[in-house]
Amino acid sequence: MYKVIRQMTQLKLQAPLLTSAPAASAANLLAFPQQTTTTQNVHTAATGGLCAKWNKNNHGPRKWLEYNKTVHPPQETNEEPRKAYLCHMRSNIKYSPDKMWYIAAFVRGMSVDEALKQLNFVLKKGATDVKETILEAQQMAVERHNVEYKSNLWIAESFVGKGRVFKGMRRHARGRFGRVEYKHCHYFLRLEEGEPPQHYYMPEPQTPQQQYEHWVEQMRSRKVINSL
Amino acid sequence: MRIVQMQMPQAATTGARMLVPGLQNTLQMQQVRHRQTKHWKPEFKRLRRQKFIKIELPNLQQKPQDMSKEEMRSRMKERGVFPPRPWMERPFHISCTGGIFEPYVPPEGDGKKSIITTSGAKQKFEFLEKKSKSMLAVRKIRSYEESFSSDEFGSYAQDIYISAHTHMAAKEKYKIREFVTERCYPEMMHNVKDKTIHWRFLQSLEPPRLVHARCTEVITKENQFAQITVRFHTQQMLAIYDRFGRLMHGSEILTKDVLEYVVFEKHISNEYGQWRLHDKIIPEWLPAKQPAPITYRITDDVVEETPPNQINAGEQAKQLEPGSSQQQKDQVNMATTTVSPTVEQISKPTLAI
Repeated sequence: MYKVIRQMTQLKLQAPLLTSAPAASAANLLAFPQQTTTTQNVHTAATGGLCAKWNKNNHGPRKWLEYNKTVHPPQETNEEPRKAYLCHMRSNIKYSPDKMWYIAAFVRGMSVDEALKQLNFVLKKGATDVKETILEAQQMAVERHNVEYKSNLWIAESFVGKGRVFKGMRRHARGRFGRVEYKHCHYFLRLEEGEPPQHYYMPEPQTPQQQYEHWVEQMRSRKVINSL
Repeated sequence: MRIVQMQMPQAATTGARMLVPGLQNTLQMQQVRHRQTKHWKPEFKRLRRQKFIKIELPNLQQKPQDMSKEEMRSRMKERGVFPPRPWMERPFHISCTGGIFEPYVPPEGDGKKSIITTSGAKQKFEFLEKKSKSMLAVRKIRSYEESFSSDEFGSYAQDIYISAHTHMAAKEKYKIREFVTERCYPEMMHNVKDKTIHWRFLQSLEPPRLVHARCTEVITKENQFAQITVRFHTQQMLAIYDRFGRLMHGSEILTKDVLEYVVFEKHISNEYGQWRLHDKIIPEWLPAKQPAPITYRITDDVVEETPPNQINAGEQAKQLEPGSSQQQKDQVNMATTTVSPTVEQISKPTLAI
């Protein structure tokens, strides 16, 4: 029995030869018709970036959506009602995080309606994803998070994370090679209920009057050395 | 629009996605870029392309539910994954029944109809007929559970009722299993996760009494289940807060009279069976609830009727401490408003208000 198996393995290895050799018996050919065609494709999904070994534990960011599960303690009747907020994200967008940053920073501190309006005119690929994420978040806020008016929301946080990067190769002159990075990014979003603040970034820019007062104070508090 | 959304939501969304880049392209036509790094001769285009080794990038945005069956099959074949084993088994519980058998029909107006009228007489007759059946069922329960007494069962059921609701408000998902059946559990615990529920049982206005009892066999004759309907007339307090601690429904300082018909179940042929809360009976004559205090949008495509799972004792609201009439009026208004359908679905637990 062992011998038979050995022969079979040999046949398997020599299958292309057998097809060309006229001495091969017809019975052998019938027994292994598939072996004559070997797989020529070296870089397949089974070995490339889609390989199961590389894709284990490949979940996106998980912490961000956990903030949606926070339950705040009940408030007293005389307290100001706490503003509702909602975290949302879209993971592994096929776009560079460096480019996405511009869009994310652009919508920061805008009201939702304003952001959606503005994003229509942003001629970048990532703007579509940002817009869709905002729309999804808005819908979720109304449906699940007890937000009464969907327009009464503003973008409290908007930032980008680095997603999966697939490495590729390119040729250079003189037999050199370079590495190409195919980048993905995550987009994170937090909507908050209410009107957007006048100034998103701290500290607020000073008015000319304030700047003048500051300058005057600075001048008056100078110390003139060797004076009275 | 509604039909389109219902029939092919995927197609609609993909269509929208297709449209947006197209729109962008037309807009991008306005932008002119003069790139200097490319050779002007098109014959080098091929050579430039050949500098890069083409690799296959997976589409990480694609979700399995968006793929067609054939597409999925070819994908799995490509990666050498076996198809998942079909899940032929249907899980079911044998420790409780799936509903109420021969449910008790609460008499309209809580049995205040005169016997002299025809409908009143008919009601009385039916009541007697059902009572004899209940007697038989109680006798059967007693054959399994010797210490069973229909008089004492009311107070025992009240303890179960209180502990089930207290555990629900405390979100004790393991402890509550001792007091509610598996059928009742999802109804009570659905969507309480991101809410804060303050519930208090204040007092019993009338002693709880057994109104209805039934026994049934499941699959075999020895496998007996018993269900008992108990009438509760109580005073309770309920306040539901949302995730941010804002009051959604009810009030802390308001008591309400609650009339309820609650079904308890026990697997009597099981030696270790326990009486557990199973369901609440909602009569058909229950008046419709008031609309929600918050504004919400009615979506056309999702038409679902949330069954009224609360019995109000004539929407009566009483205050704990007597205050000014204006204040009282405000609080009554607050308390009697019910949550919107969407919110109602969220605050699903069968709580009486």
